[in-house]
Amino acid sequence: MATATTAPNITDPSLYLEGIPHERFAEMRNTPGIVWHPYNDGGFWAVTRHADTKTVSKNTATFSSAVGHTNLWDLEADALEARRSLIDTDSPDHTRLRRLIARAFTPKNIRRWEDTVREITVDVLEEFMEKGSGDFVAEVAAPIPIRVILTMLGVPVKDAGYLVELSNYLVEGTGETQSLPADAFGNTTELRLLPFNSPASHALFEYGEALGEQRRNEPQDDLVTTLVQAEAEDGDRLSGSEYRNLFHLLIFAGNETTRTALSHGAMALADHPDQWARVLADPELIDSATEEVLRWSTPVLHMRRTTTEETELAGTKIGAGEKVVMWYASANRDESEFENPFKFDVGREHNPHFSFGGGGAHLCLGAFLARLEIIVLLQEMAKRGLSLNRTGEPVRAPSNFVHGVLSVDMEVAK
Amino acid sequence: MSDLVKLKVDTEACIAGGQCEMIEPDTFLVDDDTAIASVIGTGSLPVDRAAEVIDRCPAQAISIVNSDSE
Ligand code: HEM
Repeated sequence: MATATTAPNITDPSLYLEGIPHERFAEMRNTPGIVWHPYNDGGFWAVTRHADTKTVSKNTATFSSAVGHTNLWDLEADALEARRSLIDTDSPDHTRLRRLIARAFTPKNIRRWEDTVREITVDVLEEFMEKGSGDFVAEVAAPIPIRVILTMLGVPVKDAGYLVELSNYLVEGTGETQSLPADAFGNTTELRLLPFNSPASHALFEYGEALGEQRRNEPQDDLVTTLVQAEAEDGDRLSGSEYRNLFHLLIFAGNETTRTALSHGAMALADHPDQWARVLADPELIDSATEEVLRWSTPVLHMRRTTTEETELAGTKIGAGEKVVMWYASANRDESEFENPFKFDVGREHNPHFSFGGGGAHLCLGAFLARLEIIVLLQEMAKRGLSLNRTGEPVRAPSNFVHGVLSVDMEVAK
Repeated sequence: MSDLVKLKVDTEACIAGGQCEMIEPDTFLVDDDTAIASVIGTGSLPVDRAAEVIDRCPAQAISIVNSDSE
């Protein structure tokens, strides 16, 4: 069994302040078998190669999302149950839930929101261009996804500010410190029973429930209406807890991740002016550039599974009930899958990146929405001949889970 | 020219991930109402492209129609 005791600890959040520890991941990819990595009192199997990630992701019967937790740490059974959303289920629950809402996220139904996404993007981008410089995260990358998802859900404009505030508290919950008292927003639920242990989750649940109730009585052309009306042929519907956790998941999953992709995308294009020049000369490259931005940014660094039985992976024996962690950040730089993985190449032809998951059933529900947001931003930048310069170092999030950028100063190139 | 194979979608397994339609838009369509993919056009692809789209399906719902049985 290969053990990593002296090597850098890839779960140490502070390591990520300097960026992804790519050298350590490369060593692990080149170590035969699967590396055991210590974590708290136990540890996990660190899956770092593209091919092994795919095997784990696709074999949901052996590598479960419903047992333990899909994050590194375990949750107690009652907390897991109270916090369970689509992402922590196995089939048949997963298939059932996913099919109830999949309709809203098909490629064609997402394209119906293109005008909305474009309007928001143009609004935000033109304001940044007028100023000429600023923090790209706060001014562009953060507002676009949250405004898009709130509009799609049907949250009235007057409440958007409040929901943005709540979602920012959740993002804080993925870091080390929380600034909210346990009883904030009138919360009385034990924090460990709430997503991100955050009282802001309680407020989001309450808001989602009120909005759902309203849409049940007065349906609108929005996602909340789709969710409350979702009904299978056999009359199956979302339960109250399923609805509330899904409303919450959509706000979080559709927000922080896309923000990260847009931030790293803008940084990559500023840092590789030759690549942005290619896109400006040939806007047909925007689709492949978008996939490359996704691979390059890998907003979600890893997801965890737990084995339901004894198994073998890459020749390593893995017992039942053990943690297996797929490091998407490593799979996306696997030299045996990607040609020149450390080159940012907007025309990359073979690009089966795992930024939306490793190819199995939990494939990101919002993948086509996230793609649309990146595509539209690149299109609108290209249309205006807008190039960006980076004027400062990014401030990175101290997180082993999200590849977050807290701020990065950029200016409009003259 | 490589051989063509005919493909089918297991409608019970499909979760409307949309990968098939993204990779092979002339062969697959996700229905907007039912959110289930089906085969359109000739429903056939060269062997290598068929293997790719089968591999990329998150729900393992795409397979080759066995010409002996159908
Ligand atoms: C660039 C942006 C995004 C990235 C990188 C991303 C990444 C991911 C990843 C890696 C997973 C798989 C989790 C696993 O393997 O267990 C996932 C699942 C999910 N994502 Fe995203 N996501 C993004 C945007 C979005 C958006 C915009 C939405 C919603 C509007 C969304 C909603 C979801 C949901 C609901 C799931 C759970 C799917 C399931 O378990 O079946 N995501 N996402």
